[in-house]
Amino acid sequence: MVKSWLQKFTRRKIWIRRLIQAFFFVLIALIAVNHTLAESGGGLPLLSSASLHALCPFGGVVTIYQYATTGTFVQKIHESSFILMILGLLLAVLFGPVFCGWVCPFGTFQEWLAGIGRKLFGKRRFNRLIPEKVDRVLRYARYLVLAWVLYMTAASATLIFAEYDPYFALFNFWSDEVAVGGLIVLGVVIAASLVIERPWCKYACPYGAVLGITNLFRVFQLRRREATCKLDGACDIHCPMNIKVSEKKVIRDHQCISCMECTSEARCPAAATVEFVAGGR
Amino acid sequence: MKMTSKSMAAVILVILFGGIAVTTALGWWATETTKEPARFSEGEAAGEYNPLDIRGSYTFGDISRLFEIPIEDLAQAFQVPQGVDPASFQVKNLEDQFAAYAGDLGTSSVRLFTAFYTGLPYDLTLEEVYLPDSAAAVLLAKAPLNEEQKAYLAAHTVITSEVSTPPAAETVAASTPAPAATETHTVEEGKVAGKTTFQDLLDWGVPKEVIEQIMGGMPPTTSTLVKDYCTLKGLSFSEIKLLLQAEVDKALKK
Ligand code: SF4
Repeated sequence: MVKSWLQKFTRRKIWIRRLIQAFFFVLIALIAVNHTLAESGGGLPLLSSASLHALCPFGGVVTIYQYATTGTFVQKIHESSFILMILGLLLAVLFGPVFCGWVCPFGTFQEWLAGIGRKLFGKRRFNRLIPEKVDRVLRYARYLVLAWVLYMTAASATLIFAEYDPYFALFNFWSDEVAVGGLIVLGVVIAASLVIERPWCKYACPYGAVLGITNLFRVFQLRRREATCKLDGACDIHCPMNIKVSEKKVIRDHQCISCMECTSEARCPAAATVEFVAGGR
Repeated sequence: MKMTSKSMAAVILVILFGGIAVTTALGWWATETTKEPARFSEGEAAGEYNPLDIRGSYTFGDISRLFEIPIEDLAQAFQVPQGVDPASFQVKNLEDQFAAYAGDLGTSSVRLFTAFYTGLPYDLTLEEVYLPDSAAAVLLAKAPLNEEQKAYLAAHTVITSEVSTPPAAETVAASTPAPAATETHTVEEGKVAGKTTFQDLLDWGVPKEVIEQIMGGMPPTTSTLVKDYCTLKGLSFSEIKLLLQAEVDKALKK
């Protein structure tokens, strides 16, 4: 049984992405549990017991203003968040928001829920329930969230987003550090994930908003070769972010998460047609 | 140059874990505060630690060491429970301890207390910060407060012994004959609170003249509650309480 599951898993061309996602999900979950254990004097050796705030690159983004003006970090934020922010940004400048598509455990969690959603609503209807016009406008809402978080953090010098952060709530729902607001948002995201793929990433994630900008100028670009394209729409159907890959030569959409699901290595049936390339081919 | 999924996976792992490894080697990677607050960069206090950078993860032991405040004063000010070692008591625990005060008392209170206690600069316009009455009493007795700071304290003290008393009960208490109040009278030695009577103050060694001076007179019976007398005279109990507590502390020390 394990063998057949493994065969099925590795038949998916981008299986390695699923593996990396699962690895980071488990790592972060273990660290979160270890943090709780360490608070009460226990904890596993050799594993970090850092607070998740210290391991969130978005923490680095929200503290930029305070760091520049006073030389201090917003409460609960440490050097590690700053370093992860820089590493995440370096990856994004090279490949776009790979952090979202490959690393972020909250994105992974939503993808897993999407599996249930697909079973409930069928592959054709799932992720296509919101009218396109509404969806197109809503996609910019995450920039409003970003502006609000940056302003409120600068004005209050506290980690205001922690009060609503569903990612923190997911990995801390058992601890008293979690905020009610975070749990409510988490509940909404879980419900929405059964109908839409990655709803938090699409409409609300402020960190995704920051990284998404790099799609306009990433060094490695996602390109579609028109000459060999069969225009069968496989790329469009399988894109978790509903990007119309088949209508573009170069994907510069701010919502692309560099998951590579649309590439010829994965879903595109034509060889060397949709690829991640730098410079000339 | 083409990127495959396997090379993408490798690059992600190398950049993230390599970055963490390199910054760890350089001593930059820190997931906790170093318990070393930022220092003032200018002004008279240049080079001194800035109380504003005290974090919830600091213990009272850290604050005592960094700002040279006796640990007993911190423990008394923030009512560290009996049996708990104040040196390992984390500032963030205050929010739970004073949960009944709707988030008014917490890390900011410790920052303000530290600044007032040590005389280090603190911008009072930054945010409204409240202190428990026990902390205000320690400050009045031991800190070099100026008039502005005293006035701020008077207006920003939370009376922690009385939060459960509903407002209606206050009015009733004011019109209740004082002896009735003394029947259920339990007072913590040396702590001015809602149940403190004038007799308690005298017992603790505060001279009658001093009480009269602070309160503008004395009631006919010393078993009257100080709080009731304040209500009758239209005085602010929270302000009077601080002044009296300072006198009690002085008298008890003698
Ligand atoms: S365009 Fe391709 S790489 Fe980008 S999110 Fe869609 S499927 Fe993933």
